[in-house]
Amino acid sequence: MKNNIRVERAIKDITQAELAEQVGVSRQTINTIESNKYVPSTVLALKIARVFNKPFEQVFMLEDED
Amino acid sequence: MKPYFLFPYWWRYLGWSLVVLHVPLSILGRAHGMVSVMDNGPGSHGLFTGEHLFFISTALLMTAGLFLVAFAKEKIEDEQIWQVRLDSLRWAIYVNYLILITSLVFIEDVGHILELNLWVPLIFFIIRFRWVIFRLNRSLSREGDHEK
Repeated sequence: MKNNIRVERAIKDITQAELAEQVGVSRQTINTIESNKYVPSTVLALKIARVFNKPFEQVFMLEDED
Repeated sequence: MKPYFLFPYWWRYLGWSLVVLHVPLSILGRAHGMVSVMDNGPGSHGLFTGEHLFFISTALLMTAGLFLVAFAKEKIEDEQIWQVRLDSLRWAIYVNYLILITSLVFIEDVGHILELNLWVPLIFFIIRFRWVIFRLNRSLSREGDHEK
């Protein structure tokens, strides 16, 4: 699964640390999700999409190998 | 995320102090001619004799210390930490059984196999868990330069 978090963060003009605080995880977790090293749980992914006010599929998308 | 039981964050320091305390105690005990119960098999001297108390104060102190270090909360305990924790536990079990089975086949000294089994999972878990967290932090500080 890949995601647009980095882009969405730039649009909303917030840092990794600010996003992390809003969804209640560590900055490391946001960082590893952005670099596609960690796939978040459904709950966390929905929380992140809610911060950006975007539908889930606009922030997270499946890849061919998924 | 559902809460699950872990010790409070600062208990890790309590754990480390127990581990550190174990070293002078066991050296002192051995200097006074105390032999670990493990050397003769547990229970060979009866309960609460000198040897048994020495065993409690060293081996169990060390195990309790390692246990607290291993299962104290991180500062921010989120789902990724939880996954790293589970993954490290899985590896600790693999390594423990590999060593246990190998030593059962090749070593006759059962007392020391027990001692090994008491510590290997915890020590391996702590090393693997801290190593992954260290790597996470390192990649964060490398990327931190690009972060505004």
